[in-house]
Amino acid sequence: MDAAIREDLLGRIRGVVGDRFAFADPYEMRLYQYDASPETALPDIVVIPGTAKEVAQVVKLCADAAVPITARSGASSLAGGTVPVEGGVVITFARMDRILEIDLDNLRAVVQPGVVNLALSQALKPQGYYYVPDPSSQGACTIGGNVATNAGGPHTLLYGVTVNHVTGLEVALASGDLVQVGGRNAAEAIGYDLTGVLVGSEGTMGVVTRIWVKIQPLPPVQKTLMAVYPDIATASNAVSAIVRTGILPAAIEMMDKLSIQAIEAASHAGYPLDAGAVLLLEVDGTPDVAEELGVRMAKVCRENGASEVRVARNEAERQALWKGRKGAFSAMGRLSPDFYVMDGVVPRTRLPETLAKIDAISERTGFKICNVFHAGDGNLHPLVLFDAFKPGEYEAVLRIGDEILKLCADAGGSVTGEHGIGLEKRENIRYVFSGDDLEVMDRVRRVFDPQRLMNPGKVFPAGAMEHAHPAPDGHPRRQPRAAGVAGEDVWV
Amino acid sequence: MGVKARAQALPGHEINVDEQRGLSVDGLLPSTVMRPEDADDAARGLRLCDLAPAAVVVWGGGTQMALGAPPRKYEVAFSTERMTRLLEYEPADLTCRVEAGMRLSDLQTALGAQGQRLPLDPPHPERATVGGMVAANTNGLTRGRYGTVRDWVIGIAVAYPSGKVARAGGKVVKNVAGYDLMKLHIGALGTLGVVAEVNFKVQARPEMEATLLAQFDAPETTLEVGLKLAHQYLAPAAAVVLDPDAGGWTLALKFEGYAREVRAAKDQAVRFVREAGGTLDAAEVPPAFWDAARDWSTPADDDVVLRAIVPLTSSPRVMAAVPPDARVLAQPASGLVDVRLAAPSAAEALSRLRLAAGADGQVVVIAAPAALKQDLDVWGPPPPGFPIMRALKQALDPNGILNPGRFVGGI
Repeated sequence: MDAAIREDLLGRIRGVVGDRFAFADPYEMRLYQYDASPETALPDIVVIPGTAKEVAQVVKLCADAAVPITARSGASSLAGGTVPVEGGVVITFARMDRILEIDLDNLRAVVQPGVVNLALSQALKPQGYYYVPDPSSQGACTIGGNVATNAGGPHTLLYGVTVNHVTGLEVALASGDLVQVGGRNAAEAIGYDLTGVLVGSEGTMGVVTRIWVKIQPLPPVQKTLMAVYPDIATASNAVSAIVRTGILPAAIEMMDKLSIQAIEAASHAGYPLDAGAVLLLEVDGTPDVAEELGVRMAKVCRENGASEVRVARNEAERQALWKGRKGAFSAMGRLSPDFYVMDGVVPRTRLPETLAKIDAISERTGFKICNVFHAGDGNLHPLVLFDAFKPGEYEAVLRIGDEILKLCADAGGSVTGEHGIGLEKRENIRYVFSGDDLEVMDRVRRVFDPQRLMNPGKVFPAGAMEHAHPAPDGHPRRQPRAAGVAGEDVWV
Repeated sequence: MGVKARAQALPGHEINVDEQRGLSVDGLLPSTVMRPEDADDAARGLRLCDLAPAAVVVWGGGTQMALGAPPRKYEVAFSTERMTRLLEYEPADLTCRVEAGMRLSDLQTALGAQGQRLPLDPPHPERATVGGMVAANTNGLTRGRYGTVRDWVIGIAVAYPSGKVARAGGKVVKNVAGYDLMKLHIGALGTLGVVAEVNFKVQARPEMEATLLAQFDAPETTLEVGLKLAHQYLAPAAAVVLDPDAGGWTLALKFEGYAREVRAAKDQAVRFVREAGGTLDAAEVPPAFWDAARDWSTPADDDVVLRAIVPLTSSPRVMAAVPPDARVLAQPASGLVDVRLAAPSAAEALSRLRLAAGADGQVVVIAAPAALKQDLDVWGPPPPGFPIMRALKQALDPNGILNPGRFVGGI
């Protein structure tokens, strides 16, 4: 961005938020150039607004100057969703992190976008309620980011993902308007379901400033089982067998041999080191219902090749089993300096053949690939292990990722189940959507954001939609950094 | 070349003007009928209508044609009646893909053969189509437990006036690739495109079902118990408050799930009913009871039906505003109050209910005779975000051929 333009815009923005909360010093902005993905790009200006009104004013100033806007809060995106790839202004929600209202009577909560996911459930717990979507990064990711990506989590198998739990949004549009869509009401409110369209739009339509979410009573008991299998194919077939019985657990997670070894080394969750695959199953219910379902699932697991089924006898044991799963990505540091994680989805019945194909890719290329994933809904997270300091490895790993996503799409699946398209998969989106499909999506986007200033460079393939604003001259080219640095907290 | 001739020139589309009367909408008659055979054919047909331009009213099973304001124009009846195939169904994946014209009961039969179902129960499933259910966002009495259409649609193919078919979502239950345009078309009443195919996730049929009918003296208590149940982990699948046809107010509860769960939920409800001074109806509930309750809000006669959609705690205030001569069916777990009354008292009741619904609520006329609709504000004031809605309409249907005037704010 031209220095004079930047100074002028910075001055105007400071007029809105105050001098302290807007800055353009490259050193101070370094934190805002990356998220949990391998890509980086420096913004031109970072803004930390304190109110929705300030957000709307900042958005208007940017739109008038045709400057890109990227919203961010927890920045745990694994797909580069918050990397300001075309520069411009980054709006971060560090100061808009309050739970505005808990309305137990109407089963709703109203939050600012910067509220950490787990903080909401913790605030609700004493009253016996919770907010269901629980991405593994829930200790760091925010509800605003969850809305942008339509985040999932292990327990969305039974209860649905973010969009199923959001009933209203307040959003700042490029026009400078602060618009409320939906609200406290039922999902059947009249008019087009703009809330439903905005959730998962990855910040490309507007900047969300307030969120109405559903809350629900906590299940009295959560029964967690670990089932041990000789190999991943047997475990996959057991998942299908459980689904066939009519029991729909709240979560079905799977880890393969390599992952188990990494997890055990890191967190001693109690997974057997000689297992080919481990299934983690959880059911919700009243004590007797959960008990019965636990027994029934254990039986199905054994009948379908489990060498061992262990039931968590108390909350501490349950937490230990989950700690292993939720810390799986961080644990990969035990195996490799870097990893690259994919987020493909296949129909449940295609799991065994897809995993076999991924295995074959690993064999052929020599890169180790771990599999830790949401088996119940077919959402795979293959982790390709590599060393970013070895020349050519990062590029090779990107090609492997591309190949894996292609085979997920060919199996009737999707290229992303919960991480979002972001920057990372904007070319891969072509595996699942035609030019006509994307054209309609772009039309819808331009209704909200005619200049395509909101989080540009994301979701759509580069150059596929005519660009209203080429990247400003002199903007530093984005640089890949080492992916998933060992020891860093990364979740999925 | 007129619309009729264009339509004739299109393979697969026949014209049968004798059917005009059956395709009347709010007293208007079409001059042409189009019956596309699949999604691509639908898009070709729409393109012709767009070129004319000719105003299109989209038809599924016709169960919701009373919904919406009278169309500004109506030239082509666009029927999905030939698009009735179950395109894909993989029971082990709990997903299916169907054409929009498939009857809901036919879909449920196919799923039922595998011990599965789509847990949506909109009115008149023997006539209602999948596409109509999506377009009108019709949901049944179990919406409090299982959610609404938006919670079960995982993919969609839509035919647009541009002549293109565009898809969104996919065939897997978890998917965030691209925009969620399924949501855009759910409840849009076909004003943005014609829903041609729908992908659903489905579920296993519950192990056990049970019903409980309780009687109370006052509507407030009935609602209160219903609301209290909605806050329990073991909430019923359906909770319906019915006005006194004979005797007191009724709270009808339907329980579904694993056997132990159903028994425990029922025991809990019995306790709540007794604590609130209610009495339990010992009589066996006829199987037709729930079907009748489900269809209650889409009457075959000339009754007017008003629906209040409000936050849960506003239901009592809305109920208190219902005129004494009206009938009521409320769903306390969903914030819905349906009011059925004779035409002459509709206008006054509507304004009273809108006042009671407050700023957070809405009241919609979901059925009314054509003559009356001219005088009623069917949708009420445009909701927040209405300028965006109008712009979306302009972006996807620039010539305004789809159901012109029937939707919110004259869209």
